[in-house]
Amino acid sequence: MLSNKQWLSAKTTAKTTALGLLAAMFSLQLSAHTMTVVPSHYVQSKTGGWVSVDVSATNMTFQWDKGIPLENFKVFTPDGQQGKVDSVYQGKRKSQADVELATEGTYRLELGNGSRFFTSYELKGERKRLMANKKDRAAQLPAGAEKVVTTQGNSRALAFITVNKPSDAVLALTNKGLEFQFDRHPADIVATEEVTVTLLMNGKPAAGVELDLSRDGELYRNEPERMHHKTDASGKFSFTAPVAGRYLLEASYQADVSNELTDKVREGFTLSFEAALP
Amino acid sequence: MKLHSMALAATLAFSTLLVPAQAADTLNIALELPKPEHGPYHRPYVAVWIEDAKEQPVKLIELWREKPDWIKDLRRFWRKTGRSDQALVDARTGATKGPGKYQLSWNGQDNSGKAVAAGQYLLVVEAAREHGGRNLVKQAFNWDGSAVDIQVKAGSEIGAIQLSKGAK
Repeated sequence: MLSNKQWLSAKTTAKTTALGLLAAMFSLQLSAHTMTVVPSHYVQSKTGGWVSVDVSATNMTFQWDKGIPLENFKVFTPDGQQGKVDSVYQGKRKSQADVELATEGTYRLELGNGSRFFTSYELKGERKRLMANKKDRAAQLPAGAEKVVTTQGNSRALAFITVNKPSDAVLALTNKGLEFQFDRHPADIVATEEVTVTLLMNGKPAAGVELDLSRDGELYRNEPERMHHKTDASGKFSFTAPVAGRYLLEASYQADVSNELTDKVREGFTLSFEAALP
Repeated sequence: MKLHSMALAATLAFSTLLVPAQAADTLNIALELPKPEHGPYHRPYVAVWIEDAKEQPVKLIELWREKPDWIKDLRRFWRKTGRSDQALVDARTGATKGPGKYQLSWNGQDNSGKAVAAGQYLLVVEAAREHGGRNLVKQAFNWDGSAVDIQVKAGSEIGAIQLSKGAK
């Protein structure tokens, strides 16, 4: 989530936090924090209204822990174009933005800054990272750096909002990176009904993608009741939301690629959605 | 004479197959909206409709609502019908109603005015009230010319429902 410049300034002010959050954005599942985008409403029955959107890095699902910068928070309107985000505020525990829903159809909320490279290494037994790809890393690595691995990472946090009739433009695949395709519109996810999702990597069904489905209220249950899934050979997995409510789907995919820019690729996204009352 | 009447009976039986037997029938729906005992009262938003055996909407009978903002709170109605058919929503919209008994009916036709095929259908009633709850009633009934006499017991937002059949 942090640009190089922010990264440098953040480094001096809140090194530990920035490191944690950066790691979180590159690895939604493996790190302590999960980036989450949650609109106040997923479904609206009139145009011209607003939703307020909460964005936070969390440990428990929907339990806000850290507000994060929203420079790379975007809304895509039902025509597929990028729209305007208002009233951006970064709080300690969560950030917030308002989004106007001027037209009918489905909107996509997206937090993410595209594909980025980082190189991790060890120096005298301490793990470190720097923002460089495989070509540029040599100039930046300190002498004595060991276990050098460059990863191309991309993480997004997503949510869809539907005003009146659902539309598909913001669901269109780009065939780049890790993407998903539901067997129904996201506005049609209903508790107790089975949903099948296909995960795609660069447009092709991706087997072995790790998925974690959690639901609201973990703070008030002894068992988090998370559901773990892995995509099959055809890139598919199915789930049934047991009860109506808000859910978070976290997906992550890793592969060794070893090209001139990177050693590894790590892609992930989180999608918050609601399972409606039947 | 006997032959003639047999032929007539055969014709009747045959026409029964061709023309939906229930063409002239009406499903009477006696619906009660309860009076809640606690809290401030706002009239509920109510939708009454028919779904086929595959739970697809067939006919919107009544929609009692005010501002569009809150129609979405009739979750099933909004998902199945409301969100994608504004014209139908507008055509069927009526004012919200307070506690009391209401007599509704269905003439066996779908939203386009065509008689539905014989089979099993669902009466669906959904009610949602500001500062109150939401209720959904799904009651199956056979629409094949046979008698209908079904009582649905009351919930918190939707009172007792009685389904019967007869010419209106």
